[in-house]
Amino acid sequence: MHIQYVKILRRDPWFLFAALLAGLLLVILLAGSWLSPHDPFDISFTPLERPSKEHWLGTNDGGMDIWAELLAGLRNTVSFGLVAGLAGAALAIIAGVVAACRNGLTDHVLMRLGDILLALPSIMVTLLLAALFRPPAWGLACILALLAWPGPAKTIRAQTLALQGSLHVQAARHMGGSPLYILIRHILPELFPLGVIAIISRIRSAVFMEASLAFLGLLDPMRKSLGKMIQHGLGYYYLDIWGNWLLPPLICLCLLLLSLTLMGVSLEKLFDPRMRETNQ
Amino acid sequence: MDTGSRSQGLPGLCAAYLLAALALLYLSYRLPRLLPGDFLTALYSGAEASLPPELKEAYRNQAEALITRGFVGYLNDFFTLDWGRSLAFRKPVRELIFTALPWTLLLLGSAHLLSTLVGFFAGVESAWRKGSLPDRLGVSLMTILEGIPEIGSGVLLLLVFSLSLGWFPAAGAETVYSDFTGWQRFLDVLHHLALPLGTLFLAYLPGNFLLSRAGMLYAINAPYMLTAKAKGNSPLRQRYLHAARNALLPVVTRFGVRLASLLTRALTVEALYSYPGLGSLLCNAIALRDLPLISGIVLVTSLAVLSITLILEFAYQKLDPRLRA
Repeated sequence: MHIQYVKILRRDPWFLFAALLAGLLLVILLAGSWLSPHDPFDISFTPLERPSKEHWLGTNDGGMDIWAELLAGLRNTVSFGLVAGLAGAALAIIAGVVAACRNGLTDHVLMRLGDILLALPSIMVTLLLAALFRPPAWGLACILALLAWPGPAKTIRAQTLALQGSLHVQAARHMGGSPLYILIRHILPELFPLGVIAIISRIRSAVFMEASLAFLGLLDPMRKSLGKMIQHGLGYYYLDIWGNWLLPPLICLCLLLLSLTLMGVSLEKLFDPRMRETNQ
Repeated sequence: MDTGSRSQGLPGLCAAYLLAALALLYLSYRLPRLLPGDFLTALYSGAEASLPPELKEAYRNQAEALITRGFVGYLNDFFTLDWGRSLAFRKPVRELIFTALPWTLLLLGSAHLLSTLVGFFAGVESAWRKGSLPDRLGVSLMTILEGIPEIGSGVLLLLVFSLSLGWFPAAGAETVYSDFTGWQRFLDVLHHLALPLGTLFLAYLPGNFLLSRAGMLYAINAPYMLTAKAKGNSPLRQRYLHAARNALLPVVTRFGVRLASLLTRALTVEALYSYPGLGSLLCNAIALRDLPLISGIVLVTSLAVLSITLILEFAYQKLDPRLRA
């Protein structure tokens, strides 16, 4: 079953492009410390220098090397997305499966809690907490995850309920399989695609939100991030810094989001039978 | 469309929204008091400047008065539109919010309307010509556009049309110190609106297009389309009177679910163009650490989103007989 998925994905040019992009960004990310000889917080260089051999993208107003800043910013933005995305998806899977498996009061409480959270504009709550407590970035990522689980959790709950009624799960139950065995052996593997889609969509919205929060000035100014660099650079828009200061983080952010979006769309097309049928 | 909350009846929905609203109000009432020290030390402890003692005293008294009034008093103040005073602007929060709100509504409303109209018609036509070159191009373009954040397109538009070409102003909503009247003023406002509107339009468009196209593809295959064709309707009638009407429903109903994200994106675009709406106000409030103003804006916008979403939920049940189970 999984082999077939891989085969279809390998023939999807959009997915290939997105995966290539993601791979490229990942390589840049991992090789970050070798790619730049400078410390992103080193302020000993001449401010606002043009790009040169020493400073590939020049320096900013504080005399920091922009290339080093860019690498650090990309790393921070991606890790913010990963923390928020993985935590959010994990919560969604746990909540969805638990709600489906223990119907009754637990199900009811979890889903009503989900409704309340769905109704709240999560960015506004994050904003309020960020403005009041100025938490570190990973704390904000966790807050986002706490607010963003109900959407995917509902889908996962519905899918789990459908699976529990399906024939092969019934057969396994009649064979005498314990609930835990059925959960691990039959239900979780089939939820895998939904989990992947949930992770990608959560990472994507977390990266979006981080950019917005940084842009509104809510993130720690000492922490480099793509949104922060853009916001900072825009303060000097009247200087000739577009090519070396503003565009690089902008392009990085766009490529990152583009790759996540395309991957999400391809996967959804693959796993949602209704979309597959209509979008061949 | 999975909105997650359709499975329960209206009473349950109302209860969930009411609880959400109360939770928000309680958070904004309670959280400031969890800060270490009191309001003032939290605000000014890291600052170089210090307040004169009589101001300190006044602010402390203000905060003290709030605490002794309790949550019920807080609710009472909130619903009688007494939202406190901004520390940085020295004006009532209500006044600041009501000055900024019309600009946000103008920007968000026009961008939403325009992107829904264009996205819907483009989506319907694209689905009708499924598999053709324009359709494939449209879908590719919109999928790519979906992955471009409003900051990206906004900064590029600003660079090209404002700084290089100089066609549009880079900031503000009106020319300052001009006393335009009538038509002139209208054109001036439009001129300033163009770039933020364009950015927001590009941000909202792909969602509307893809949703309309998917809904239309679903509707085209429905049996009633065969009936419509068999009755001898012209293709245009088939497309719009029979299929597109059903594709419109998800586009309309998604508005409530997407409202929060639409608003967030509008606030970011405003901050980018210094458009004098709530986004810029929020940005300034954050930069000046003006907590009463920040929590005022957050509270008012979130509660507005909540109530609009709830009202829309009621409207959908009237619109779509299938939901009236």
